[in-house]
Amino acid sequence: MSTDQQESSEPGSPLTWMRDVLTGAWRDLKSVYYANTTIWRLLKSATLLFFGFFLWTGANLLLSYRADWGFLYYVMAYGFVLLLWGPLTHLVVVPLVIRMRRSSAGTVGRYIARHGSVTNLSVFLVIVLILGTFPLGVMTFEFQLTGGAGNDVNPQLQCTKSEGTVHCHLSDASGIDRVVVTSGDQELATVSEPPFDFNIDVDDVGEVRGDKQFLVVLQDENGDTLRRYSRRVELIPG
Amino acid sequence: MNALGLFDNDYGEDGFRTCSVTGLNIHRSAENHVKLFGLTAVVALLVGGIFAFTVAMTRWELVGLLRPGEFYTHLTLHAWNLLIFWMVFMEIAILYVGGPIVLGRKLPITRVAKAGWVTMVLGALTINVSVWTAGGFPDENAPLLTSYAPLESPPAFYAGVVIFIVGAVVAALPFFLTLWRERRENPGKTLPLVAFGAFITSIIAFEALVGGLITFATTLLWRIEAISFMDPAWYRQMYWTIGHGTQQINLAAMVTVWYFITHVVGGAEVVSEKVSRTAFILYLFFINLGAAHHLMSDPVVSSGWRLFNTSYAFYGAAFASMIHAFAIPAGLEAGRRKRGKGGGLFGWLTSAPWKNPVFSATIFSIILFGFLGGITGVVMGQMQVNMTWHNTFATVGHFHGTVAVGTTLAFMGLVFFVIRTMFKRNLAFSRLASTQPFLYAGAMGIVVLMMMYAGLLYGVPRRTAEVVRNIPGTDFSLSAAAPLFALLGIFAVFAILAGVVFVLVAVGSLLLGDRVRPGDNADLRAISVAADGGQSSSGEEKPVHAYGMRGTFLVTLVFLAVFVVSYVLNWYLLTELWQVGL
Repeated sequence: MSTDQQESSEPGSPLTWMRDVLTGAWRDLKSVYYANTTIWRLLKSATLLFFGFFLWTGANLLLSYRADWGFLYYVMAYGFVLLLWGPLTHLVVVPLVIRMRRSSAGTVGRYIARHGSVTNLSVFLVIVLILGTFPLGVMTFEFQLTGGAGNDVNPQLQCTKSEGTVHCHLSDASGIDRVVVTSGDQELATVSEPPFDFNIDVDDVGEVRGDKQFLVVLQDENGDTLRRYSRRVELIPG
Repeated sequence: MNALGLFDNDYGEDGFRTCSVTGLNIHRSAENHVKLFGLTAVVALLVGGIFAFTVAMTRWELVGLLRPGEFYTHLTLHAWNLLIFWMVFMEIAILYVGGPIVLGRKLPITRVAKAGWVTMVLGALTINVSVWTAGGFPDENAPLLTSYAPLESPPAFYAGVVIFIVGAVVAALPFFLTLWRERRENPGKTLPLVAFGAFITSIIAFEALVGGLITFATTLLWRIEAISFMDPAWYRQMYWTIGHGTQQINLAAMVTVWYFITHVVGGAEVVSEKVSRTAFILYLFFINLGAAHHLMSDPVVSSGWRLFNTSYAFYGAAFASMIHAFAIPAGLEAGRRKRGKGGGLFGWLTSAPWKNPVFSATIFSIILFGFLGGITGVVMGQMQVNMTWHNTFATVGHFHGTVAVGTTLAFMGLVFFVIRTMFKRNLAFSRLASTQPFLYAGAMGIVVLMMMYAGLLYGVPRRTAEVVRNIPGTDFSLSAAAPLFALLGIFAVFAILAGVVFVLVAVGSLLLGDRVRPGDNADLRAISVAADGGQSSSGEEKPVHAYGMRGTFLVTLVFLAVFVVSYVLNWYLLTELWQVGL
């Protein structure tokens, strides 16, 4: 035996260490996979559920930026299927396989005992491959949000003040059905006709701590609030 | 102080009794006040939980329970009752456990403790009533948790906050006096770890509460026009001394409870007292710097200040959390292996008393606080990444991960423990009690995930009643996020149900539960020494750190992997927000 061969097979050699670590890891993985107490089943199922969410949403997010990273469809499918398959495997399949191994009754029972886990994993991977290749709509997050067609109701409210009266007007009246001006419980003005300009008397505006404030609410035809502006009389120019 | 026989136990003539579970010598003065504050905390949990239902069913816009105007009132009461009252009443109880009970002393100046309780209750009631009845101009501003000036809320609200904070400070005084007397009488003796953790918690609490007192007393004066000017920037800076400071109290108290419960019920032993105590010391110096992360989008403070506090100094505290995140499960693993209860990689964990809701609640608290709350907190606490999280629903997901899952589960477990060991009642509806932590952890965990996804993937904002189904006045629509809210709504119902079960079991046990007989509490006791966090005196030759901790090591490797992936994903998201250059 050569010196190199002697070194690699001696205890403490890097190769031996690596082999021991990998063998130990595989053994531990199998023991965790087949662990069958109630708490193990629950912990494994919950862990895989969270992991499934993580992969599913993460893949969707990355795909929205990197549409050319096609492999992410398979990651997405893996996470999506895992949401169901993880709990199914550890709450149903693994306990069933173990029970069949103990009872070993009948052909079907023996088949499940011997091949149940591998069959289960194979079916899982096949489903992942299919869904990764032909993703279902429900798997994919819709990120192409509608909007930006220029229909936003977002005018500027411009107010000036002179001789005890505040005058306000909107820079754009389109899309608005009604303008309501309030101060506290008191309604100061309601305008239903464009361009929705209005005047209010400063003396009618309610105050707290010496600060007069009023609210301007733009409403649509359903009475829903489109925009809401708060103004302090002291800060209005004039 | 003996309503319904709940405040009586078999004490000796000196007022002490020896706990059969922990071995601690407990004086009636300390025990009765722990019960008083603990019971009050559960009442606050119930009230806050009712508002959790209304808030969740509004954010799930398919139900859309509340109108926008009502939403903010309900959200305010949900936040104050759960984030502040449920937490702070429990924390005073924890101080009394960590101080006089662990040290085997009487609770001193009990009149001060009672005065503190009365003041806290008065403050809490004032806040609840003032927010609920707020109306008219400008008191229509429901304060939410932050009550940012110059928005005006009812003067009684600010007064209520001042009263509550004063009450909490007063209630903490007997704890400080306990430690003072302990150190005077036993100057060379080290505080047990649980007492040490409680002491660190109390110092952090003092900083937070005094900061809050300064903030809200000044704001009250502004609100009643005794002072004319309130600088909003000053308010924001000062508010977060108590705003986030209270969360740091929660963290330190929760970690102390983890050490306590894993030791008593799980058989954990502290692997290195020095390392764990150093981690608590790091909390003391660095944790309140984390409050700066609430000012990430604030125009008043400089980028340099924000970066230093949140991306450098705060990591002193994050490092401490990493220490506890390893030390506590490691202590559980090594301690259980030492007792012959380990086997393979995770046998030490799966052989643990999972049917005992005290244990299961604590372990789920540890796991989910770390993975859901902790990781997201460190990630979003960076100034740059915060730009993608700030004011989104993802932020709400983070603090529900820390407080609503992590701290709440730990405190629920502690309440169950107190019911059995102090109130000496077996848990009513025992099967329901065993299931409750599983149901709550699972359901609330899913809710937290959905909150984060809604906020991160779609930018759904927080603190708004209507934004997904319809944003009037624009074609822009977030309706693609609706499926996430469906999951959120459904699992929120389950989580709230689990909360109801908790209250049912807790109250049911006190009213209907059988008295604990000798031997009934044997399942609570995994250790044979006093529950002060100290080392076992079982006569073993090998010290606890000689036992393997490979299971913990693997879990922390997984934790690190999740951390790294979260970091990378979030930074990647950020790089896609703005295009620099061509």
